Amino acid sequence: MSTRHSILGRVAVVGVASVGLAVALAGCSTGDTGSEGPVEITFQSWVPNIDQAVDAFNESQDDIHVTLETITAGPDGGYAKMLSAVEAGNPADVAQVGYTDLPDFLVAGALEDITSYVSDSEDLFTPWQWQSGVFDGKVYAVPQASGPLVQFYRSDIFEEAGVAYPTTWDEYYEAAKAIRATGSDRYITAFAFNQAPWMVGLAQQGGAKWFDTAGDSWQVDIDGQDTLNVFAFWQKLIDEDLVKVEADFSSEWNADLQNGNIATWISGSWADAILRGTAPDTAGKWSVGAVPQWTAGENASATWGGGSASAVLKGSKHPKEAAEFALYLNSNPDSVSILTSIGAGWPAISDISEIASLQDDPTVFDFYGGQNIWEVAAASDAAVDNSWRFPPLWSTLTSSLTDNVKSAIDSGTSLTDAVAQTQSDMVDAMTQKGISVE
Amino acid sequence: MVRQPAAGLGARIVVNGALVISALYFLLPIVWVVIAGTKSPSDLYSSFGLWFSDTPQAIENLGRVFTQDGGIFSVWLLNSLLYAGVGALGATVLAIACGYGFAKYVFRGREFLFSAVLGGVLVPATIVALPLYFLLNPLGITGTAWSVLLPSLVSPFGVYLARIHANASVPDEVIEAARIDGAGDVRIFGSISVRMMMPAAITVFLFQFVAIWNNFLLPLVMLDNQKTFPVTLGLTLWNSQTQRDPLFTQLVITGSAVSVVVLVALMIAVQRFWRADLSAGATKG
Repeated sequence: MSTRHSILGRVAVVGVASVGLAVALAGCSTGDTGSEGPVEITFQSWVPNIDQAVDAFNESQDDIHVTLETITAGPDGGYAKMLSAVEAGNPADVAQVGYTDLPDFLVAGALEDITSYVSDSEDLFTPWQWQSGVFDGKVYAVPQASGPLVQFYRSDIFEEAGVAYPTTWDEYYEAAKAIRATGSDRYITAFAFNQAPWMVGLAQQGGAKWFDTAGDSWQVDIDGQDTLNVFAFWQKLIDEDLVKVEADFSSEWNADLQNGNIATWISGSWADAILRGTAPDTAGKWSVGAVPQWTAGENASATWGGGSASAVLKGSKHPKEAAEFALYLNSNPDSVSILTSIGAGWPAISDISEIASLQDDPTVFDFYGGQNIWEVAAASDAAVDNSWRFPPLWSTLTSSLTDNVKSAIDSGTSLTDAVAQTQSDMVDAMTQKGISVE
Repeated sequence: MVRQPAAGLGARIVVNGALVISALYFLLPIVWVVIAGTKSPSDLYSSFGLWFSDTPQAIENLGRVFTQDGGIFSVWLLNSLLYAGVGALGATVLAIACGYGFAKYVFRGREFLFSAVLGGVLVPATIVALPLYFLLNPLGITGTAWSVLLPSLVSPFGVYLARIHANASVPDEVIEAARIDGAGDVRIFGSISVRMMMPAAITVFLFQFVAIWNNFLLPLVMLDNQKTFPVTLGLTLWNSQTQRDPLFTQLVITGSAVSVVVLVALMIAVQRFWRADLSAGATKG
């Protein structure tokens, strides 16, 4: 099906390709081929201190030299910048792009097909993370890191309430009641109506599959039964005043983490640093467990907003070298060790035995009462469903979902209606953009 | 129904009350950010927003802001000063000269050109940022300070203001008198008219300075290297790192407070040059 958008996309690709050709010809005429110096490529990222990993790559070999360009985070304008540079024919060679945003880049024709350079290395990565850079059998990005869901919880509060750690959502409901009974201001958790990636993660963990591709078109199933079950469960918790309806990362929420008014937080594995930074006085009282299951004995997990990949941008003059750098950056054990230590997130590689900071990390483990919390994260990462796809127009999805959930909360209507509304919003938005929806 | 300003006590209370409320409305965020800039990361959430916490640590916070990432914050501040200072100065010179030309010389196409300038006032800077990127990219100056400075050198609003002001404050008689005394046009503009237009020049400078200082999209699109970032872009960069490390929240807040205070101090310093109506009396007697 040839939609308006894909035609435009193709025109853009042809345009970019011809600019690329012109540049290549210009390159020949100035005669810089055959010079001895290394190939120069640029890398755009906003991960703090990632220059250490870039330096390590530059020192590891003499053929490629990478220059880091620190830009503002993708959603804060970084992606707009990358896309306009692609359109102007002057892109960085490698760019930091979220798993949730790769489809937008693909639709805009902004990604280079790097299948032939990296496909041999698929085995190095966790399957779901690798798949996030694969579309229609072609590889467009090398995964870097993600945030597999785990549950942070105050073990002292669970002890006080006399409940065991909940392994199923039924047990979670009972634990919520027990914890609610220990103090008039205390709740098991905050229902973060403002946080779409969190709600998406909960739905994914409940077995929902919101998006899939079939040929050229997308299938959208936001209001499927699995999702409705998940939201109905949270509706029950809200109606019975067992969870606190509160925006996460707000001042009140931060205060509640500090004073124990909320006892758990389901979040990405990287949230360990947020807890340690926000509530240093609660050191030693926290533990980490797997997300409760809908069916006892199962092992379903999900992620908080996907993760981050290194993509080669369309129009790169050195796609082969760019792909080589992307691969090294995210799979070489030394490089991944650096990424992990600077807080880039849970690594995308499947074998973490060589990543020193994930074996023993006293400053982190002490905060969690000596628990090796990375074992929980590793198990969660391995359990993520690798058929889950993120859609184009992710930012539309997140704003639609939070808007609808917020107005449901404000007006007292049901969360399942909000989910149904999000389904129709998303289908409308995709159709309007000329993206074919089945 | 419009009330007359000379109305009674009740009206004065209403007007002053409205002014006080709007002053509070605009000042409270600044008060908040300055106060929050003195708090420790944990006090930030646990203490009352509009008053100091029991354990203020302004010095420590400032130290962290200026030492984080090798002192990059000072570089951002200096970049902002460079872009806003040089850009506003250039824009002022161009706007005053241009507005004076529009006001005092009759030439073919004058009103058409002036309408085009007025049209420029209506186009938001946000809209032209991307087209500018596509224009400057083939010249190879994207990513350099020039890519931010060059577009900042034009101020359509400044031209408009300068023309109005030149009409009102540079009397034709003064120009004619200078011509009779043998002064050339450049000399008249440089030594007489510019001085008479000084209040307009200061106004254009202040407006343009603040506009460049606060501009976000243009440097966002143009710049690739954080060493060239202005403070707006730099604080956004830090802000996007709060999710990985909440301690950055304190850096962003203290950094914002510093950048606001610097801007306010600069404004107060420049305002000293703001003298009303230098030419009053020039044509009297």
